[in-house]
Amino acid sequence: MSSSISPSRRNVLRTAANGFGALAAEYLLQRELGAVPSANPLAAKVPHFAPKAKRVIFLFMVGAPSPIDMFDPKPALKKFAGQKLPESYGKIISQFTDGSTTLLPSPWEFKQYGQSGLPFSTLSPHVSQCADDICMVRSFYTESVVHAPAMYQVHSGRILTGHPSMGAWVTYGLGSTADNLPAYVVMPQPEGTPEGGTPCWSSGFLPAVYQGTLLRSGPSPILHLKPPEGVSAERQKATLELLQKMNQLDSAPGDSEHAARIASYELAFKMQSAAPEAVDVAKESAATKALYGLDEEPTREFGTRLLLARRLIERGVRFVQIYHGGGPVSIQWDAHKDLVLNHEKMAGMSDKPVAGLLKDLKARGLLDDTLVIWGSEFGRLPMSEGGNGRDHNPHSFTMWFAGGGAKGGRIVGETDEFGLHGVGERYHMRDFHATVLHLLGLDQNKLFYLHNGRNEKLTDFGGNVIPKVFS
Amino acid sequence: MRNFVAGAACVGLLAAAVDPREEAFIGTRRNYWAFQKVERPAVPAVGGVWSKTPIDAFVLEAMQAKKLTPSGVASKRTLIRRVTMDLTGLPPTQSEVDAFLKDTSAKAYEKLVDRLIASPAYGERWALKWLDVVRYADTNGYELDAERPQAWRYRDYVIQSFNAGKPYDRFLREQLAGDELYPGDHQALIATGFLRAAPRHVVGGNTDEEMNRQEVLLEMTLSVSNTFLGLTVGCARCHNHKFDPITQADHYRLQAVLASSKLDEPYIATKEERLRYDDLAMKHAAREKPIKDAIAEIEKPTRARLQDAKKKLLTPEHRAVLEIGKDKRTPAQDVLFKEAQKQIGLSWDEVVNALPADLKAKRAGLRRQLHELDYEEPEKPAMAFAVINAEKAPVTHILKIGDHRHKLDPVEPGFLSVLGGIEAPKTPQGRRAALANWMADPAHPLTARVMANRIWQFRMGSGIVPTPNDFGQLGGRPSNRKLLDWLTAEFVSSGWNVKAMDKLIVTSAVYRQSAAIDAAKAAIDNDNRFYWRMNTRRLEGEAIRDSVLQASGQLNAKQFGAPVKTPLEPEIYDIIFTEGEPDNLWPLPKDKTETYRKSLYLLNKRTVRLPMLTNFDQPDAINSCPVRPVSTHALQALSLLNSPFMHEQAVAMAARVSAACKDVDCRVKAAYSAALQRGPSAVELKMAREFLSAKKMPLEDFTKALVNRHEFVYIP
Repeated sequence: MSSSISPSRRNVLRTAANGFGALAAEYLLQRELGAVPSANPLAAKVPHFAPKAKRVIFLFMVGAPSPIDMFDPKPALKKFAGQKLPESYGKIISQFTDGSTTLLPSPWEFKQYGQSGLPFSTLSPHVSQCADDICMVRSFYTESVVHAPAMYQVHSGRILTGHPSMGAWVTYGLGSTADNLPAYVVMPQPEGTPEGGTPCWSSGFLPAVYQGTLLRSGPSPILHLKPPEGVSAERQKATLELLQKMNQLDSAPGDSEHAARIASYELAFKMQSAAPEAVDVAKESAATKALYGLDEEPTREFGTRLLLARRLIERGVRFVQIYHGGGPVSIQWDAHKDLVLNHEKMAGMSDKPVAGLLKDLKARGLLDDTLVIWGSEFGRLPMSEGGNGRDHNPHSFTMWFAGGGAKGGRIVGETDEFGLHGVGERYHMRDFHATVLHLLGLDQNKLFYLHNGRNEKLTDFGGNVIPKVFS
Repeated sequence: MRNFVAGAACVGLLAAAVDPREEAFIGTRRNYWAFQKVERPAVPAVGGVWSKTPIDAFVLEAMQAKKLTPSGVASKRTLIRRVTMDLTGLPPTQSEVDAFLKDTSAKAYEKLVDRLIASPAYGERWALKWLDVVRYADTNGYELDAERPQAWRYRDYVIQSFNAGKPYDRFLREQLAGDELYPGDHQALIATGFLRAAPRHVVGGNTDEEMNRQEVLLEMTLSVSNTFLGLTVGCARCHNHKFDPITQADHYRLQAVLASSKLDEPYIATKEERLRYDDLAMKHAAREKPIKDAIAEIEKPTRARLQDAKKKLLTPEHRAVLEIGKDKRTPAQDVLFKEAQKQIGLSWDEVVNALPADLKAKRAGLRRQLHELDYEEPEKPAMAFAVINAEKAPVTHILKIGDHRHKLDPVEPGFLSVLGGIEAPKTPQGRRAALANWMADPAHPLTARVMANRIWQFRMGSGIVPTPNDFGQLGGRPSNRKLLDWLTAEFVSSGWNVKAMDKLIVTSAVYRQSAAIDAAKAAIDNDNRFYWRMNTRRLEGEAIRDSVLQASGQLNAKQFGAPVKTPLEPEIYDIIFTEGEPDNLWPLPKDKTETYRKSLYLLNKRTVRLPMLTNFDQPDAINSCPVRPVSTHALQALSLLNSPFMHEQAVAMAARVSAACKDVDCRVKAAYSAALQRGPSAVELKMAREFLSAKKMPLEDFTKALVNRHEFVYIP
């Protein structure tokens, strides 16, 4: 942090103590001056080089949508419909099928959109309007055919649990500019958690302070934010005042841990007003609400969370992780059967809100330095499962980027004629992570943490940044 | 330089010839300090009146070299609070403090320490630390994160072992090879739960069995090397270790020792107990049946209606094939039949959402009856969550970049080349026993050092080697090698007696120092690596919770048994993953006092952590955690001020204090006594009066503030 902090800022901080005494204020000041780095793990840090993106909104589609039904048209599927995959492809074992089923053409029609002519199927009537802001990478691949391990790999780079999630790494690397809000926020589907569960946003072996904080809409968006029922704000303020006076009696000069603790109560107090304000969409205009689909079912719920995402990043939150889908199978993109029913329903809930987010960020000038990622744990096979569904395809799948330096209207990588494998350049999750870190101004090799005798990194032994995404 | 091969002879094993390429890789790195046999150093002739134990002389010598001097002795009140919290995880009671303050005998402190080390909570305190290292949990981890209903016996085994003063070499042998070394001993069999305490991925569908097995072996290898060797053998999974002389072959040799093992849950219940259980289980199922039938009956018409609707959507071929009998279908029709079945299949939520409101309510009532009946489910016969030998031992190969699909040379079971490269038996039997005996050899350069360092770390707040799981190149160097080696030698000659080491440390002058910060000394050694003062330590989340329960008078000190669920916030309940019906995922005990058990006995579910505990850096039980980080952030404050648990306890504490006396001053004193085992100072009394009398704030807010205070959450 800069040490040339202005005298007026000093005064603001010194007088911001709200009656909790000078110690907390002094601590906050020292913190801003960078004088007490060890006591404040979330202080904003300077990236390794000039970043293109300053923050991330990661939209995760739980259960794996089918790229060949949404963004990656495969006319050959129509031609060979009902036939088996040519033997040259080898035996394709997925989680529930063994490659013996026949090719299933996409039930949806594709068209090209924007000046760039990016193709979208009729599942994306709104997102397709943002074609020129979107960079599609079609040839990602992953190592597991099972949801949870594949989710762990997208989030943390490994199919095993216990490694920090990307949000945790980014928060560890960049800290936060939001004092009054958590740095790394997670919003799961209200019906239930994604299959991978909490390890998807865990801090792994990094200190717990870097784990994602669950946030929901409503008056108490963060767990334990509000005083328990029957305890008024006045009472809580008085209790805090008493506590902080007692804590000062317990603190000795030079004791940065106690000073940090006093400050943490101060920040908690501020969070109590900041967080409900951040999630209160009442003051948003009707037009904005409509843009996100808040005025109608079935988009209201997801639209609300995406609008919250925008409000959070406006207030300095570094990383917002949002899950679309979770809980019962019927509220996941996991179309083992009834592909049409499933994807119409899931896309119907999410397409308009996602487009709304992109348009809103753009209109506010936030898209330039906010990286929006749309992705999932893997894709779906071109062969059918059960006649009208698709099993998991880890061999190739699409994720897309918008804003934060990503070049819109671009397609990177390609898949074979059926959309089974990537051809040419294929990208591992390490490459995905290396690219995201790069956009944030972080060098994958400089962002490490010593754990169990190894300088652990998000990208393990290293990924390749995908330059075509941003240059 | 003396190397550790001597140990081989006494356990009847032969040193294997080390491969010349591996030998070249190891080379002079064999001379690294941690691989040298421990020689007991002479106690330095320093210390004078300050020194109370040989430890003090070593510490003082190191301090003097840095021009540091020890701090004064902590007050008696601080000492009893410190040592009680340290050894039991709870603060003392007021009467214990009073008795200690009154006892002016020379042996007062020693008597106190003896009492604490003999208390049942001593083993619980150790278990909290040990279970962090072995990453114990009550569930498998990963998405399904199913409970391991018998795993808790290992947790109890650990508590009992520390309480019984079990020699550490025996403790190690039991955990690595209890089944082989002590056949017929149930506790030793339960001890092997150590080898499978790590997470394990259990999932349906087409999975790669060999990969699953590799994952299990990998976790076992990690646990063994982290916990007992203090080495990161896991780093050599894909290639030779980058920093330590551990070859990739070494990694797979150690894995081969474990490769003849299998996971098993052998009964430890008697035959009669099992027969009795079978009978009770049958009766229980008979009680459930009418309720289950009634639910099926309610769903039946809706299921039929939904299925009919789905049938209408089938292709004519699919529809037709449903009518053909099993033995009349051609193979092609079989395929269509399976597809049709899948397409008309119904998930629970499709059915429930389609039920009319009255039936939905009726069904929910029946489900509640079922859940109610669960409480009367007979307890399963006791089993050991164990590891035993398989009949055959598959050949272990070195794996290219750790990938089971790319097998390189086969290896024989064996131990680290740098330490002599001893081979284990080639038969499936006896491999783990050989490993355990090799490790528990008094001459082994790492085993005793690693544990002596842990004991020191747990009591002093930092290790002599600051990375207790990693004594290798990337780990920290010992801040005082002579002290570490002396402690190690003393540990072995005490008969690997952990209690004796604990007593030695907490009765030292080093431990009894004040924790006050001295700016001049801090300028020389800010991290206190030379122990010129005592470290203050924040209590673990678990200990904070337990201490709050003690202050409120609600703590249920019952020991042992199956893990207990405490109330979950709805937000946390929601993150329990299920694709099934999300009711009754977290059944609470009928007896509410069970929810006030110590945190050690709460269900430790890897993917659903209790927020108050994780906020205070409780580890994830996925990675081995030798040192808990201490972070400070706003969510901790929110948990301690606003969580339903804290509120409930503050109210209970207020009630306890109110019952004691009527006037404000008396209540304030009672609250101070319950929380901090002292009376309020004049300033504090004034603050309290102002809060309670002038501002008319409720007593529960006062008690809540007290247990939020630094003094409450720090070991002084």
